[in-house]
Amino acid sequence: MSYKVTEENDISTVHLDGEIDMDVTEKAKEIIMPLIEAKKEVHLNLKEVQYMDSSGISVLIESHQKATELGTKVILKEISKSVLKVIMMAKLEQILNLD
Amino acid sequence: MNVAIKSITEQRDFVVSSSSLKEVRSFSREVFEKVNINQDLKDELVLAIAEAAQNIVKHAYQGEDTDDKMEIKISLENGQLEIGFFDKGRPVEEKNVRHRKIDDIKPGGLGTFFIQQIMDAVVFKEGEKPWINHLVLTKNLNS
Repeated sequence: MSYKVTEENDISTVHLDGEIDMDVTEKAKEIIMPLIEAKKEVHLNLKEVQYMDSSGISVLIESHQKATELGTKVILKEISKSVLKVIMMAKLEQILNLD
Repeated sequence: MNVAIKSITEQRDFVVSSSSLKEVRSFSREVFEKVNINQDLKDELVLAIAEAAQNIVKHAYQGEDTDDKMEIKISLENGQLEIGFFDKGRPVEEKNVRHRKIDDIKPGGLGTFFIQQIMDAVVFKEGEKPWINHLVLTKNLNS
């Protein structure tokens, strides 16, 4: 997994790239959580994520819950087909913020 | 190019580690490239296999560092897919393996749910020596 973070006003966009599994979830959280803790609106661009498993989904849930707790939000952008399928399999399309 | 074949048996050993999961997926993809099924189903099967391998790392070994190997065996015979997982971790009791309630939104507990959604059957067996656990996932690819 690789990533790029861009900032515009109070919105931080994290562009994730590659495969997100148990081996990289800690790294993903290290990137995303401080942005949420800084109470920024976080956009996760998932266009280049070719694979995500249950560990990756856990990162999305944890990020969403942390953001809600801190009064901000995480929005999933340009979700790749394979990631969307896993989100729907987990029945989270109504829970997470999908754009 | 896909090659439609009626029978296949391939197995490979992997170090029990989260860093092996990428290799597990590569192995699974290589095998399913030889099978004439649609890409969506291939992706689902790769996910189920990777989730089961992840469960060995997370639960049978509780994330501990080890040099132990796990073995994954993929067999297809007349459209009946059987995937075997063998490990030497802590004995897994089937009654303790359950996914979380799907409407209880919290991180974790989804891997087993995905496996059950994708596969027709999930059976835990006692492994024959030297193995401790033997998990069998099956799916009828004809249906």
